[in-house]
Amino acid sequence: MDIRFEQAEARFEERIVLHPLTLSLTERRIGVIGLNGSGKTTFARMINGLVAPSAGCVAVNGFDTVKHGEKVRADVGFIFQNPQNQIILPILKEDIALGLKSRKLPKQAIEAAVNGILARFGIGHLAERRAHELSGGELQLAALASVLVTEPGILIMDEPTNQLDLKNRDLVERTIRGLDEHIIVISHDLSLIANFDRVLLFHEGQLAADGLPGEIVARYREIAA
Amino acid sequence: MKTLYVEGDTLLHRLSPRPKLLGLAAISFLLFLIDAPAFLAVAAILGAGAYASLRLGWRQSWLRLQMIMLTIMVVAAFTLFLNSSGQALVVLLRLTALALFAAAVTATTNIGDFIDEITLAARPLERIGLVRAADIGLSIGLVIRFVPEILNRYQAIRDAHHARGLRPGPLTLAVPLIILTLRNADEIAAAIDARGIRARK
Repeated sequence: MDIRFEQAEARFEERIVLHPLTLSLTERRIGVIGLNGSGKTTFARMINGLVAPSAGCVAVNGFDTVKHGEKVRADVGFIFQNPQNQIILPILKEDIALGLKSRKLPKQAIEAAVNGILARFGIGHLAERRAHELSGGELQLAALASVLVTEPGILIMDEPTNQLDLKNRDLVERTIRGLDEHIIVISHDLSLIANFDRVLLFHEGQLAADGLPGEIVARYREIAA
Repeated sequence: MKTLYVEGDTLLHRLSPRPKLLGLAAISFLLFLIDAPAFLAVAAILGAGAYASLRLGWRQSWLRLQMIMLTIMVVAAFTLFLNSSGQALVVLLRLTALALFAAAVTATTNIGDFIDEITLAARPLERIGLVRAADIGLSIGLVIRFVPEILNRYQAIRDAHHARGLRPGPLTLAVPLIILTLRNADEIAAAIDARGIRARK
């Protein structure tokens, strides 16, 4: 994985949401923390081109997120804060297949991929279930399956344990720990990112600290105090 | 209500989506071609019969149809006010028949099948470069998928009014509903882009 921000800035109308940022991300597990409104989600959305930089550029594995948006989005999966909005079709297996249909794969290949991804997350029994019947943890796993079925190399998760009870939170944490993909996790759940390779701290639209989890979390506590 | 689709094994469920959608298109065409109230009344009765075959019960049927039926009544009332009672009756019967047939088809057709059929039907337009067929299918699928979500959100806003001891008014219901729906739509659009669901060029 090679993600590069070159003086990348994000503005919404006149307001600067992310100040010009230059950095390179290569680690396998990266945590992103910060107070609400600090620019974390904008930063993450810039990586897969959902937010275009108003100045500078962002590139993923050498591809500019604006010029090669489709290619970048194929490489970078994104799990949103509310997985309910990510599940487009009501029945889980149909929803997972939806991401593959646009690739015009044969029906058998789609079916095999869907069954494979359901088995990978141990949710084969949910294949015929409707999204609104799933628990919070199941919904997160369903969202993961729907994104990873297209085999992106990088996965961004925006607050994946948000609003989950302890049991579901632990289930999601175990699943994240077992992922082979490069992951970038935005979270207020500090124990989730405690063993990550690198943590970025955002504050008031700027990268305030960047390093190992221990020191960055301590810095975050100072800011939040 | 979480989805417009209703699980079941009725004749309409067993029928494949294509004849249902073609049938619905033909019925719609006829309903707008013929003005005779007797014909429209028979069509409305047949529509009611098709919907009743789902065996949802009165309460569930009313919950599902109340918004569209109220809208039809408002349109008929306006027609009565602006035109004549005869024309109002035609509007009432025509739209009621159409709504009942469409509701029966929607309730018995899985969204995935719906999207596939609409996409297939839009292919000729894609060939002449007018549209992307998969986008048309996806758009219609999204409407069917998220209509119940909007109704649920409406109920949640109404409940929030009651919980705070406020009387729901048209403006205090409509404004948050529109804002929440638009925000939700943005998020769903972002998810569609992020998942690469739209057809590739």
